[in-house]
Amino acid sequence: MEEKKLTEKESLELITRMIQSTKENLEVGRGNKFLMYGYFTVALGIVIFLLSLFTHNNLYSWGWCLMFACWAFVSWKAKKPDVITYTGKAIQRVWQIMGLMFAITFVSLWIFVVIFHTHYILMILMMPLSLIYVNIGVSITGIILKDKWMTFLPLVSQLIAFYMLVAIMNNIPNILLNLLMSFAFIVSMVIPGHILNYKMHK
Amino acid sequence: MFKDLNPLLHSQLRLAIMSILISVDEADFVYLKEKTNSTAGNLSVQIDKLSQADYIEVKKDFVGKRPHTTCRITGKGRKAFSDYIDALKSYLP
Repeated sequence: MEEKKLTEKESLELITRMIQSTKENLEVGRGNKFLMYGYFTVALGIVIFLLSLFTHNNLYSWGWCLMFACWAFVSWKAKKPDVITYTGKAIQRVWQIMGLMFAITFVSLWIFVVIFHTHYILMILMMPLSLIYVNIGVSITGIILKDKWMTFLPLVSQLIAFYMLVAIMNNIPNILLNLLMSFAFIVSMVIPGHILNYKMHK
Repeated sequence: MFKDLNPLLHSQLRLAIMSILISVDEADFVYLKEKTNSTAGNLSVQIDKLSQADYIEVKKDFVGKRPHTTCRITGKGRKAFSDYIDALKSYLP
C-alpha cells in the first residue's frame, strides 16, 4: 500500500475494509488456554485421588500447588499476540483479577494456618474457593464472548463448589473431593474450551 | 457545506493504520504491515508522522532479543478520526 490521496468514497471503503479485517480470525485459539488448564487440573485431580487412595496419605493434597507450575508454564509458552482487541483486553483483565484473588486466598490461608496452628484448612479450602473463582472467570469470559455454553456451564460446576464447602464445613474429609474437582473442571473449562475452539474454526 | 478533510489522515496508508488502531486496543508493527500490505520502510515513516501528531502512541521494547513495536491510538487520534469521518459524511450525497 503506497501513500496516495484518496477520494471520499475510497476513504470510506478503506476504513470499512481495515476495520473488518481486524475482526477476522482474532478469536482462534482462545479456547486453548482453557483446555491446557482444564486437562491439567483433571489429570492432577485424578493423580492426587489415586495416590491418596492407595497410600492413605492426605499429604498428596499438596500436589494442588502444581497449579502454580501450570500457570507459570502456560504464561511462559504464551506468545505475545500481534494484536490485542478490546475484547481480548477485557478477558485478560478478568483473569488477572481472578489470579490475584487466587493468590490472595492462598496467602490468607497460610496466615490462618500460622494463627490457628493447623494445616488442614489450607489445602482443603483452596479447592472450592479456587473453583468458585474459576467459575466466575469462565462465566464472565462467556458473557464477553457472547457464548451461552461458556456463560452457563460454570453454574453447574458452582454446585460442586458449594457441595465441597458444605462437606468441609461439616467436617467430612473426603478424598473424593479431588475427583469432584476434576469433574468440575471438565464442566467449567474443558467442555467450553472445546466448544469455543470448534466455533472459531467453523 | 463540505468540511475540510484532515490531510494527515487523508492518505491511504495513514488512514489504514488509524482504521485498524481505532478498532483494537493495540497492534504490533508486523500485524499492521500484514493488514495494510505495506513495506516496512513506508509503514515506519507513516507511523512516525502519526506519532509526531500525537495521534498514536508507539512503544518499543524487546521480546527475547527481537525488537517489538506496538502502536495504540490516543485520545487525540480518536477525536481526529471521528472528525475525519464527520467531514467525509458531508461529501456523501
